[in-house]
Amino acid sequence: MADERPRWREDFPVRWDEDNYMTRRELAKFLTLGSGLLASVNVLIAFIGLTGRAPATPVRRIAGVDEVAPGGSLLFRYPTDDDPCILVRDAAGRIDAFSQVCTHLSCAVVHRPGDDVLTCPCHKGSFSASEGLPLAGPPTRRLPRIVIERRGADLVATGVEV
Amino acid sequence: METRQQGSILFSAVLILIALLVVIQLWLVAAALEALVARQFVVLVPTAIASGMLFVLSGGLLWYVVSFDARLRQWGPGG
Repeated sequence: MADERPRWREDFPVRWDEDNYMTRRELAKFLTLGSGLLASVNVLIAFIGLTGRAPATPVRRIAGVDEVAPGGSLLFRYPTDDDPCILVRDAAGRIDAFSQVCTHLSCAVVHRPGDDVLTCPCHKGSFSASEGLPLAGPPTRRLPRIVIERRGADLVATGVEV
Repeated sequence: METRQQGSILFSAVLILIALLVVIQLWLVAAALEALVARQFVVLVPTAIASGMLFVLSGGLLWYVVSFDARLRQWGPGG
């Protein structure tokens, strides 16, 4: 008796809908595999974070003490030329310095002397100019503080406090 | 309700639960990445532990439902 199946069946034995069919069991296995992959990624991130070297923080002269007037501010870069920072001197003469990169979406914050705050013009976030703490707007994390020491007539940056 | 139908519902429920756990893990990865960029290293270990626990939970659920399915097949149709 002759085989009634068309000859192309030999080359294409699986129907396309059967080929794409995925059982719930296969989907559950696939999701669990994805879960394992995500757990591995999380462990890898933790490993990178805990073993990665902190960037070196050189001791660098920023400005002379008299170069920043009370109520004024000064822009500088620390610890590398890719890290913009802002130094603020309040009316009483206290000097603080912070990273200029907003902790929300990395816009540059600017000093608003009247309110003694650092504001981000992108999304109206604001930070305390004395502590770097978020006061309003979207940011939830404080600005990294640049440690400033007064050495004679100079202001010197010695480190970064995250 | 027949045992087979109960098993089918159980399988679907577990599948949805595993999918939910994977979504939570995605959120944990995003949070860990953000913490890494922001140098908030204290966040990294708890997120890794939580993600690992969710993976163990997903694996446990998969094992439970597959073994349940195997027992169901052993009993035959109708339970």
